[in-house]
Amino acid sequence: MRFGVLSERSVRFLLGAGAVTGFFLVWEFLLTFVFTFNPFFITKPSLMWDATGDLILSGELWKDLYISGTPFVFGFAAAVVVGIPLGVVMGWRRRVAFALDPFLTALYASPLVALAPLLIVMFGVGIKGKTILIFLLAVFPFIFNAFAGVRSVDTLLINVVRSLGGKERDLYFKVILPSTLPYIVAGARIAIGRGIVGIIVGEFYAASEGIGHALIWFGDMYQLGHMFVCILVLMIVAVIFTVGLRKAELAIAPWRTQETR
Amino acid sequence: MNRYLSQYRENEEHILGWGFIVLFLLAWELTPHLVALPKGLALFFTTPYHIALKLFDMVTSGEVAFHFYVSGSEFVIGLGLSILVALPLGLVMGRFYTLNAMFDPFVTAFNATPRLVFLPLVVLWFGFGIWSTVVIVFIGALFPLLINTYEGVKNVDRVLVNVVRSFGANEWQLMKIVVLPNSMPYIIAGLRLAIGRAILGVVVGEFFGSDQGVGFLMAEAAGNYIVDVVFAGLILFMGISLVMTMAVKKLEDRLSRWRPEQVKTF
Amino acid sequence: MEPYIRSTDITLTFTPKNRDPVTALKDFRIELNSGEFVSIVGPSGCGKSTFLNVLLGLLKPDMGEMEIGGKKITGPGVERAMVFQEFGLLPWRTVMANVELGPELKGESVASRRPRAQELINLVGLTGFEGHFPHELSGGMKQRVGLARALATDPEVLLMDEPFAALDAQTRDLMQAELLQIWDKHKKTVLFVTHSIEEAAYLSDRVIVMTARPGKTKRIIKINLPRPRGYEMRLSPEFNDIKLDIWNTLKDELNPRE
Repeated sequence: MRFGVLSERSVRFLLGAGAVTGFFLVWEFLLTFVFTFNPFFITKPSLMWDATGDLILSGELWKDLYISGTPFVFGFAAAVVVGIPLGVVMGWRRRVAFALDPFLTALYASPLVALAPLLIVMFGVGIKGKTILIFLLAVFPFIFNAFAGVRSVDTLLINVVRSLGGKERDLYFKVILPSTLPYIVAGARIAIGRGIVGIIVGEFYAASEGIGHALIWFGDMYQLGHMFVCILVLMIVAVIFTVGLRKAELAIAPWRTQETR
Repeated sequence: MNRYLSQYRENEEHILGWGFIVLFLLAWELTPHLVALPKGLALFFTTPYHIALKLFDMVTSGEVAFHFYVSGSEFVIGLGLSILVALPLGLVMGRFYTLNAMFDPFVTAFNATPRLVFLPLVVLWFGFGIWSTVVIVFIGALFPLLINTYEGVKNVDRVLVNVVRSFGANEWQLMKIVVLPNSMPYIIAGLRLAIGRAILGVVVGEFFGSDQGVGFLMAEAAGNYIVDVVFAGLILFMGISLVMTMAVKKLEDRLSRWRPEQVKTF
Repeated sequence: MEPYIRSTDITLTFTPKNRDPVTALKDFRIELNSGEFVSIVGPSGCGKSTFLNVLLGLLKPDMGEMEIGGKKITGPGVERAMVFQEFGLLPWRTVMANVELGPELKGESVASRRPRAQELINLVGLTGFEGHFPHELSGGMKQRVGLARALATDPEVLLMDEPFAALDAQTRDLMQAELLQIWDKHKKTVLFVTHSIEEAAYLSDRVIVMTARPGKTKRIIKINLPRPRGYEMRLSPEFNDIKLDIWNTLKDELNPRE
């Protein structure tokens, strides 16, 4: 589709941006002129704007993000460090995969978030409990995607590299890594979402600070403007990570676009 | 000896798989007998035996039946609603470029964000109880279905569209004969994701926004440090999750008789 | 005699995404007699397939119009059917259901379309494969289904868009011979697009050689070889002369980078 001189991408962008702007404008309009506004039930974009200013100027927003971000980084890093090697070994050694696959699949299938209260009780409301929870949720996508990635390696390519005189090292860096990396990045995308769940569950349950706590607290206080801003911030964070990783996926492996979706 | 060995070889996958699970459970069971747990931990420690006993007890006493019924209803209603909304919307988004470009930022944002983020708001709007959980299940299941339906429609084979149009098919026939069957594998894959998210939705919805259901049972037990019940609930959800996944697999096999073997699962 | 299919000068321009417009056809004109077998050969991208799609009624030309049996073409119609290069079989339908597609879309009942579909399946030599899915068939078998499907609406004109290009050489020879037999028996008008000079020369009454893009007719070559044509004919000096003639007409149009 083509509209005058604009490229397809910019048309797409304008349509999307227009729809989002329109959404907020209609929202504001409806609550100002059409419906009676009940501040205990919903908020308006103008009030969210004020709340944003408040949260930023008071420094609360940054503090909460920092508090929540720290265990996220630790838990996520641990998930990478444990998950990827485990997945690679499972992909490489058939017997290890046989032994671990059903066990891990069962764990992956069970709603481990439900363990949050136990972990909080055992490890406390601070960084430790949250980190372990995030690790527990985020590790599985790394394991299974690294596993699938290694298994997807084309044996023909291995033979090609061997026949051209490639050494073990070359196999790892020229064949296995490039084939596996896109899977791992795709796994990271799933893990991000689960990690955010981990933070929020941890903070819903028992915490006195952090963005998840702020969300609940503003809700309880009926400060819906602030609450909506917290929701919006979390959405933006999630989108930045997800879209960023999708871009990374395409940059790393431009030859495969749709498959990992 | 040789016969046993060849039998082992044949069933190696299952033997190793089950073996590891049994080993894990055994190790867990024996831990308190072998190691002196610190006092804080010992209080919250349970073993597979106790969990199994508790689960059996909960099921036979009928204690769990009501909550199970509640959770099941939330799951079915939420997932059903999401299918009813996602399929038509996905079809329309796949066919109309402008609409798709306009919806895209919303779909991306809501899909990327864990549903849990909306829970406090949903509870505020729909009240404490079943309906909040239904809404959370609905939001969770909606987007994988929507995105996959849309992808399936968008990736429809141009040649097939031309073939059917060349026989004079109208828009509706085109939909029925080409677009929908072509999207089916995508939709099923979306359904598989949606089920996982729906189950998760039931758990978190009931955890924080309900006073009934298996998730609530677990949350309540956790609050009172009754660890057996938490794990029993976990196992229940795990079971449902596995059963549902297998059901979708069956459905997929039934609907994809026409596809070559190697691409059946993706 | 009035030609069965004829066109005024056809011009058609595409605008691909984010690129400059491309004129696929420029003043292309064609006349086909009823029952005639005509091939179009030309360099890649010269608009051969585009023209077939115009004739099929899927594309509207910017200028010019086409008539078939005295009636203007405005869209797809039952008197025309296409055999596609990529087969275009619905993968979720059995052989039988694929062959029945045209009659089904016309609203024919199962009772009336089934016997005819079975007849055509027998004709193309796929008896016993009615319940198979396309992925279970070889390339040659798939295109037999494609042919049977095109014949199922009993069209006057068969449009064939490089139908054998995806097949291996032997299967291709076999299919060509069978196509000639079917053509001979059913007296269809055939417009056959191909890359293969040999194929065009072997099958056709006339060969239209097109120029590079924008495509128009460079020359029309009459193939005065007796019918029925057997495999031996393909080894005769006359046949080779015709091939050489077509090649000499075509070679200046070929782009070495394609």
